[in-house]
Amino acid sequence: MTVSEQKKGGDSMTATLDTAAQPEDARSQAGRTRWWTLLLRDRVATAAAVVLLLVVLATTLGQLLIGDLDTKQNLRATNTPPGFGHGWEFVLGSDALGRSVLARLMVAGGTSLSVAVPAVLISLIVGGAWGMWAGYHRGWRENVSMRVADIILSFPSLLLAVVVLYIFSPSAANIVAVLAIARIPVYLRTARAESAELRGRLFVDAARTFGTRSGAVIVRHIAPVVAPTLLTVATVDFCFVMLAESSLSFLGIGIQPPDVSWGLMVAQGRQYLQTAWWTAVFPGLAIVITTVSATLLASWFRLATDPAQRWRLALPRGRRGRRSAPVLPEVTQ
Amino acid sequence: MLTFVRRRIVSSAVPLVVVILGVFCLARLTGDPAKLYLPLSATPQMREDFLARNGFDKPLIEQLWDYLEGLFTLDFGESLRTGQDAAGMALRAFPATLQLAGATMLLAIVGAVLIGSWAAYKPNSLADRLSGLLSMAAASMPDFWFAIMGVLVFAVTLGWLPTSGVVGGPEVWVLPLLTLLIRPFGVLVQVVRGAMVSALSAPYVKVARSKGASEPRVVFGHALRNAAPPVLTVAGDLTVGLVNGAVVVETIFGWPGIGKLMIDSILQRDFAVLQAAVLITAVTIFALNILVDLCHALLDSRVRQAVTA
Amino acid sequence: MPAFPPRSTPRKAALALVLLAGLVAGSGCTVANSDSLTGGADGALQIALQQEPPTLEPCESSLTSTGIVVRSNITEPLVERDPTSGALKPLLATGWKATDDHTWTFTIRDGVRFHDGTPFDAEDAAFSITRAVGSKLGCNVDGYVFADSKLEVSAPDARTLTVKTKDPDPILPLRLSFLEIVPTGTNTTSKVREPVGTGPYKVADWDSGISLRLDRFDGYWGTKPDYPAVRYVWRTENSIRAAMVASGEAGIAVGLGPEDGAGDLGVAFPNNETTALRMDVNVTPLNDIRVRRAVNYAIDKNGIVESLFLKLGEPAGQLVAAGVVGHDPAIKAWPYDPAKAKALVAEAAAAGVPVRTPITLIARTAQFPKVAETAEVMQEALSQAGLNVKIKMLDTAAHLEYQLRPFVRDAGPTLLLIMHGNQAGDAAFTTSQYLKSDGPQSQYGTAALDEMIAQAGEKTGPERSQAFGKVLAYQNENVVQYAHIAHMRGLIGIASNVRYKPNSASTDELRLAEIHPAE
Repeated sequence: MTVSEQKKGGDSMTATLDTAAQPEDARSQAGRTRWWTLLLRDRVATAAAVVLLLVVLATTLGQLLIGDLDTKQNLRATNTPPGFGHGWEFVLGSDALGRSVLARLMVAGGTSLSVAVPAVLISLIVGGAWGMWAGYHRGWRENVSMRVADIILSFPSLLLAVVVLYIFSPSAANIVAVLAIARIPVYLRTARAESAELRGRLFVDAARTFGTRSGAVIVRHIAPVVAPTLLTVATVDFCFVMLAESSLSFLGIGIQPPDVSWGLMVAQGRQYLQTAWWTAVFPGLAIVITTVSATLLASWFRLATDPAQRWRLALPRGRRGRRSAPVLPEVTQ
Repeated sequence: MLTFVRRRIVSSAVPLVVVILGVFCLARLTGDPAKLYLPLSATPQMREDFLARNGFDKPLIEQLWDYLEGLFTLDFGESLRTGQDAAGMALRAFPATLQLAGATMLLAIVGAVLIGSWAAYKPNSLADRLSGLLSMAAASMPDFWFAIMGVLVFAVTLGWLPTSGVVGGPEVWVLPLLTLLIRPFGVLVQVVRGAMVSALSAPYVKVARSKGASEPRVVFGHALRNAAPPVLTVAGDLTVGLVNGAVVVETIFGWPGIGKLMIDSILQRDFAVLQAAVLITAVTIFALNILVDLCHALLDSRVRQAVTA
Repeated sequence: MPAFPPRSTPRKAALALVLLAGLVAGSGCTVANSDSLTGGADGALQIALQQEPPTLEPCESSLTSTGIVVRSNITEPLVERDPTSGALKPLLATGWKATDDHTWTFTIRDGVRFHDGTPFDAEDAAFSITRAVGSKLGCNVDGYVFADSKLEVSAPDARTLTVKTKDPDPILPLRLSFLEIVPTGTNTTSKVREPVGTGPYKVADWDSGISLRLDRFDGYWGTKPDYPAVRYVWRTENSIRAAMVASGEAGIAVGLGPEDGAGDLGVAFPNNETTALRMDVNVTPLNDIRVRRAVNYAIDKNGIVESLFLKLGEPAGQLVAAGVVGHDPAIKAWPYDPAKAKALVAEAAAAGVPVRTPITLIARTAQFPKVAETAEVMQEALSQAGLNVKIKMLDTAAHLEYQLRPFVRDAGPTLLLIMHGNQAGDAAFTTSQYLKSDGPQSQYGTAALDEMIAQAGEKTGPERSQAFGKVLAYQNENVVQYAHIAHMRGLIGIASNVRYKPNSASTDELRLAEIHPAE
């Protein structure tokens, strides 16, 4: 994991959070405080946000703290179990090459995020835009787009992965590209369905009669409505992409050492499940915790950005009624 | 209805051709199989013989033509690795995957509908939160990790189940099914819950309740039918994923399915088998998509009827 | 035993998870039952392989996955090599001698029958040799042991076979020990999937993808083996094969790693495999001998063997392991001397060698247990020495592109992690492949080395061994195309109710007749 990749991971993460905060910026300063109160009122969402923040901090600033600990090998002290006997670096134990599991978790998290976040963002943006465009225009454009989605979905992504990763190198960028392409149809189909449905709505019709160009209609009227759904899909996908990266490592074509990702750690650690469980269990937990937090935060976010539902969050705890359906993701394995 | 199916089949033809061409080209990009199949000190002559014997010496366009020609008679050629008929190998492997995928989706859907509805019935209750958290955790669990843990615990330590394999009673199904199940199940629980929460707060549920319908009838009759479309979409996509590659599970448990066949033929540069396997799964996936769309249409008309009635 | 998967509710899933985590973390894994399962329902011995044999064609039996099932079980060669002593022993031939420089004469065993009932004679032996060597079939054994040599085979009578070679070939009987005998009339235009042979077992049922069963052949000429039937299954994942032996499902599991969980059931054996880095001498900075020496000094062979292989191996200083003709015990592994490595690199850098050029360290996924970790250790060590090394893990096919001629062009400087197994027991097979300047797996050599190899190949007896020993020492001192790592040891899982003593050939030839039920 190089420093620049690390940065990229951190930046894109903040980027997501920024876009998340954007509609708020448009409003007043008072709105901003309300936003925080809204978040703080939901204990679960707050916890999720804190966890995510910690993950991002650990994978970015943590780097400064650990120096070269993540690559420093010690063949004389391999597979030491977690505990406080060997200094803070080894509280989570050491791996088969005597490296600190804690340090590697931090660096690996950076790689994982810098693969998962860009992959999700690319497929979200490309697939989402394409899907809205196709659904808005209907007709042959829709047909062609849907058939393209069919092709990608029915094509063994594994073959694509092997070809790309063997012909070109299995660098993080290529893995991002492969995963992004494989996930585009998911957004394409979701966005198309919603956009096709919105097309018939009054406000879109009105915009069209006033002679607004189609691009502008999509950006101004369709995108804001479709975005929350897409965002929910994206969080579920975030989890999928992390696991897919791990499966690639299982098959030996994922992130390559000496770079390390959570997925690679789980895949490599699987042979030590009986002798050094910590080398596989901790990165596995990291994946689970991060993705669960992201999902929780996203479902809260969706609620918070929906004007029709937001009041629920404003209610004092305990009196909150039923939440509306936050999750309608379209997911492929 | 029939016109719809016919139109979909016709419009699937072009993508299918693209998949067929795509797999041909991508496979050729993975390199020349000669070194893999020839002995270490093969002479240039042996190499040429090998290429000629398998038709790799012809220009690519001619190879493509041979391949397309063979397609019409379902003749994909012979496997480089085993010398068997490639189409036969793919057809033999496919049922294993279909059974596994089918059983998994059945269990996942039934389980998710029950748990998801239960959670949605009392939103934000402890049961809801717990099932939400657990299903999210299940959805983000690396499957090979789960599989190996399962084998170590249930087969080695407890000795309750066989480690792997397909021969034997229902017990050989338990670990592969569970491994394959966790993800779709976790995702579906969340989808069902979400859809059911909105469905249960919709006006027609109130109407049904006011008419005196029993609670199970309200939940599973009225609400579920309205919550079905998104669940159907997601379930369809998950099934596509399973058909396309339960590679990890098939690899670990020695399940002779199409995913394992595909990865083996990729690694062994066994183009004929790869092409046959990809075509078979692609056709199935197209059929599955059509089926899902049909179900949507069916549900739609029913809902409409119910509303107008 | 739960008959069917319980309907998973999150609670049950949670329970299962807690159970999973708790059990593994807490108790470590104890072996529960190793009972009747081994035999299977039909009393068959179950053997877990790494992969399904692609075919059982005898002339492909130099492929590990085919050979492990076929050799000496289904078909037999004329002569067999004792893996422990290296001596040749009669099998389908009762005796052999060199009648002149170019001719070997074999006496054929009487009273042997093929599985289909036909008697075996010299005609069949001649047929089998012509079928496999230099034929259109493109047999693996052809290129592997005969290296394009032209043989003239004849059967003057039913019990005599003569083989003429173009050049004198003192090890022809050894070469023939790799050639399995099939009856006259076996297909000569395409390979057979299920062969007929003379071996103690015959193919009974091959359920593709699932299992392969062999039944004991009642008409076998020799001692009958103990198990009436043997069933092979295949699992790619090492820990699953280990689990199968641990749970008693399989009697034998091959190809395990030290931490796969076979525990006490894992039996180590030297498998004649040697790991090494092949350096591409044609490209800077590896064309500088100081840099190549630095690579040798930088690698902590002892550390790798002890911490990674858990002592399943020993540091190597030559490409062939002990027991192979040509192995010289006097050649020690290069000492681990990081300071010297650093100094050599610095010296080369001072002389203008671009030592910071990125070098690719290429390894093959799953080539041996912990191959990725090994690559990482070396990468780190070489970086410490001042070189700029990147790792590239490839699958077998892609790895072969680098390993075999014609090599990948414009690959830049490469360090290729290879594992060489000399199962024939003679260094001639190694040197012609890996050390000769035009060897199929050699990127570099010198005229002097080629000459030494050619001369050694014509010698016999102790002289031969000495001559090849000199070749290996010369490569270390003057050529340095290789940085040797370790002579490997294999690990085979043997259930408690099975008795088997693995030997150096067990990976390629698992003789079922040597497996017995434990009392």
